[in-house]
Amino acid sequence: MCHATHDLKAGKENIMSTTFVDEKPTQNLEAFKGVKKVPHEEYYTSGHRTCQACESAQIMKLMAKAAGPRTIVLGATGCMYVANTSYYSTPWGVPWMHTQLGSAGSGALGVAAALRVQMRKGAMKDEPINVIAFCGDGGGADMGLNAISATLTHPDYNLLILMYDNESYANTDIQISGTSPYGANTSFSTPGKVKRIMHHRWKKNVAPLMIAGHPTCKYVGTISTSYPLQAMNNIRKALSIGGPTFIHCLNPCPKGWDFDPVLSFELGELAVNTGIWPLYEVENGNLHLYGKTKDIANGRFKRLPVRDYLLKQGRFAHFVEDDIEYFQSKIDEMWTKWLVPGVIPLQKEVEADDPPAR
Amino acid sequence: MATTTLPVEVEKKIHEQEALITGAEAIAIACKLANVDVVTAYPIRPYDTVMQYISQLVADGEMDCEYIVAEGEHSQFEIVKHASICGARVFCGSSGVGWMYAMEALTVSPALRVPMVCMVGNRALDDPGAFGVEHNDALAVRDLGWLLTWVDNAQEALDTALIAYRVAEDRRMLVPLAISCDGAFLTHSQALVRIPAAEQVKQFLPRYDRGDLLLHPDNVISVAPQANEDWVMEIRRQNYAVTERACSVIREVYADFGRTFGRKYGNPFFEEYLTEDAEVVLLGMGTLSTRVRVAVRKLREQGKKVGFVRLRWFRPFAGPEIAKCLERFKAVGVIDRDFSFGSPNLSGVVATEVRSAMYTGASTRPPVLGFICGLGGREVTVHDVEKMTDIVFEAAKGVTQPLTQWIGLRG
Amino acid sequence: MGQLFAVEIIYRGVFQKTLAKNITRGIVLAAHNEGKLGISFGRYGDAPERNGIPAKSFAIIANDEQTLEAGMAQYEPKHVDLTVVLDDTLCKGAESWAWYGLQPVHHALKSGHTLIVVSLQDAPTLLKTIHRREEPYKLGILKGVTSFSGMWVYKDDHTDVRVLGAIAKALPELVSLKSVEKFITEKLKNSLKVTSTQTAYQRFTAVDVKPGKGNPEELFNFELLPWENMRNGVSIPGQPQGGPYADPVTKQTGGFRPARNELFKKYSTRTQRPVVNFSTCTKCTLCWLDCPDASFDVTPDGTYDANLEACCGCGICEAVCPVKDCVTMVNESLFHDNDSQWVRYKKDPHTYLKWLEKTIEMAEPDEKRSHGFRYRGQYQEQLPEALEVARKG
Repeated sequence: MCHATHDLKAGKENIMSTTFVDEKPTQNLEAFKGVKKVPHEEYYTSGHRTCQACESAQIMKLMAKAAGPRTIVLGATGCMYVANTSYYSTPWGVPWMHTQLGSAGSGALGVAAALRVQMRKGAMKDEPINVIAFCGDGGGADMGLNAISATLTHPDYNLLILMYDNESYANTDIQISGTSPYGANTSFSTPGKVKRIMHHRWKKNVAPLMIAGHPTCKYVGTISTSYPLQAMNNIRKALSIGGPTFIHCLNPCPKGWDFDPVLSFELGELAVNTGIWPLYEVENGNLHLYGKTKDIANGRFKRLPVRDYLLKQGRFAHFVEDDIEYFQSKIDEMWTKWLVPGVIPLQKEVEADDPPAR
Repeated sequence: MATTTLPVEVEKKIHEQEALITGAEAIAIACKLANVDVVTAYPIRPYDTVMQYISQLVADGEMDCEYIVAEGEHSQFEIVKHASICGARVFCGSSGVGWMYAMEALTVSPALRVPMVCMVGNRALDDPGAFGVEHNDALAVRDLGWLLTWVDNAQEALDTALIAYRVAEDRRMLVPLAISCDGAFLTHSQALVRIPAAEQVKQFLPRYDRGDLLLHPDNVISVAPQANEDWVMEIRRQNYAVTERACSVIREVYADFGRTFGRKYGNPFFEEYLTEDAEVVLLGMGTLSTRVRVAVRKLREQGKKVGFVRLRWFRPFAGPEIAKCLERFKAVGVIDRDFSFGSPNLSGVVATEVRSAMYTGASTRPPVLGFICGLGGREVTVHDVEKMTDIVFEAAKGVTQPLTQWIGLRG
Repeated sequence: MGQLFAVEIIYRGVFQKTLAKNITRGIVLAAHNEGKLGISFGRYGDAPERNGIPAKSFAIIANDEQTLEAGMAQYEPKHVDLTVVLDDTLCKGAESWAWYGLQPVHHALKSGHTLIVVSLQDAPTLLKTIHRREEPYKLGILKGVTSFSGMWVYKDDHTDVRVLGAIAKALPELVSLKSVEKFITEKLKNSLKVTSTQTAYQRFTAVDVKPGKGNPEELFNFELLPWENMRNGVSIPGQPQGGPYADPVTKQTGGFRPARNELFKKYSTRTQRPVVNFSTCTKCTLCWLDCPDASFDVTPDGTYDANLEACCGCGICEAVCPVKDCVTMVNESLFHDNDSQWVRYKKDPHTYLKWLEKTIEMAEPDEKRSHGFRYRGQYQEQLPEALEVARKG
């Protein structure tokens, strides 16, 4: 990024030489080469009070491990706040602070700004410190996008916003959020005598929203806790590339999705293998799909039917065949009709949406 | 915190500059002198001129700070809140409904012990959209642990901003502080202001240090974890302890300000004007003071012994002192540039507070009349003040008066 | 002032949320058939409920409004006339996520009153885990498979009405069997359930537990600080970093044990625990890496030892372990300590592996283990077995 100097006669070099983006170095975290190379240290350990098999706690653990000791973590309100860090009992081995539900972006910006200016003025040791704001889908995808959008337009602050997505407001006992899947049973969309489907909106496509809306953002990606090494390495990449970055993680929630905790890991894999949860990263504007998603895209792996995923969860137990077929048709659409399959929902010719009667 | 005193001769040597600036500009300059680290801006009249001046100071290389234009007041205050917890000296501000949009951030800051210093350019709350002054915006946080002060001229705005950082960042305090400046009359009107030298300010204002409350990898703490009924009351009690200390800390800092800069404010909490021999007094906050002083002088020419008390600090509210001050008059008239619909006697906020302070703190209780005046930026005229004074004198004679009256209202 | 009754239901969060609610509501509505008044509520501090956490639900009953008021506006009654434990692994105690310290299941039970446990075990076995106390009480066992379901789909295996039957037997002055039957017939409109409640009533018996009988374990407790000693700015100290530790035999240090929070242990959160075969472990790291609770200590050998201070028994480690029977989830009620399995293995591998073999034999086969919804139609398949137990009592 550069700007024209006041001197209109200034030559190109002169223009190029005056840049407003004053990039600070990052910790430049190398990828872990294999699970055996993952360090033993835990910066998110016991003390949290999450559910059995809480995949949201899992991504917090992996995130802290990936980031390491020179890190500040902000935790926006959500079940990963309330269940996680209770007064005089905390799992955090790095400095952690509660951030209001709508403030993941502004909180991270404030921390990054404070570090930057104090290091510049010599009031604080000059060193790269990771700044991570951890927010849920309630805060991140609703609540005015949690002030993430504005923050992603500030290229000179190094920070990561990690949005964990358990597809509901799990903290308040499971209500619809902007990322709850079509038809899911939640406290605000329980099937009734007349209406079977109370939630008939489609899940927000959050990562591409960040990609399309913030051209100077260097890294946006999706991850899954069922692929922990990859998840950690993507987090390390996002922390190293410089500027504000965003990662969206899908986290199976045994409580809200209503499944036996032992299935947490399997459901994470199924979400990917059915094509419901595509894994990809956009690095300096380049999109690359990874893992099974890549195989799905270039036809090396046949997507599993969404039924295998839906019927393992109590929140979809009220689905009739029409609902399952409709859900399948929307996922097929992602892969057959979208201009960038699985990612960008622009279509050449759009067919009329035809959801089953509710 | 160590207080600093300059030998008089040194003080003389240091040359103050004089400039013709608005109240908002005066606070901008104070931020520069205070070497503020992080500033967040968002436009709303009338406070936002302060942010225009700061952006210019940054552009001209006169001020070194992170100047962030936020996408709304909620973010604006959340950014400085987080920055402050990470050790940065911060400045922020707003007006009217903008301040209300930030309310969540304003609410959580005192418990987090965030010494954010803010300017509120007082503005009427929507609806209807109106730019004129009303004090309900700043007053909305009066019960949350904020320190609230009102100034009535540009010089006081600059001085109070410097004082504000010393008070708010004092380790015994660490709470947010808002400086209220009346829209238009102070924010948009230029006056001659003496600007202290940077060296003096540096001595008066040590670097902000929150010690073991700092959020930094070298200090592994968890801030604001979820608490249940076993803890919240104790946490509230800690903030109560801060308010218990507030008056003595403020008095200390004003005394040191006087010693350092040679400009003395006397009683920090309120300013008395021609009260020595007064039979009745009026009391109010902000720039209405100028109109009142003019009227008081005029009324005294007519032999009416009226005085004026200008309240400088609303939080902490120096209850006992105010009661002691007011008990000696025959009657008191409180001018509120705010409203508190449905409150006791349907009075304004200040009148209600003064009455409650008098109830416990005064040995004799003269009638305290409430006047709602100058809402939505309407001028408080000399005629309005004369009218209020007459009503107060009537009350002093023992003639019963309505406890709340609207002055300067059509119809 | 009339008589006030309080009933406490201790259950597994989310897994038994609907069940517990059905029971406490059932008590109020059944007692109402006798003209009594009552309220039903869950322990507010348990919300938002986490799956598996010990949670509580209450029914307060009185003959008149004024008496009832004495039992209102409390998070939990201080003394109860009856305690029901819906999962026998809870006999180890109840520490909800909002509660500091471990409560014995009978901590609020009045002297001489009855503690009902839904279990397939007998009284002597349960008393190995139920903490000892000074006052005598009665222990009644309602034979039954622990009934677990989830947030949205409820497994209606009659446990609710069977508990109501047992309650009518244990505390007839609270509610009579007749009133319970009336409630089921009129409100639930299910004659089969009437039979289930009757059978439970007839078969239910309780034994006397003498003072001082039971598990001598010291209860984990936490002292609340006075406000002056609390850190300012709503801040608390973070967790220290862990480190290597010593092999009990060779005394050589190695591996890694993360810091374990001193103020919250997951002892009572588990319904099952992993047992590890250190001799077949391939050190693939998966159990350690995929554990959301960071509960595995890395041993100096490079194997992984489930630290029972932190393990909440979710079973992910078993699910991801590539080696057969290397990590096996076993019902928590079979264990009476939280000691390190690896230390026992190191001290005497032979005895440990023998013990392990026996323990794994006792473990419920994975497909039968039920901690909630796995596939549509699963509960229907499980129902006959549960109803058979109900029929036999």
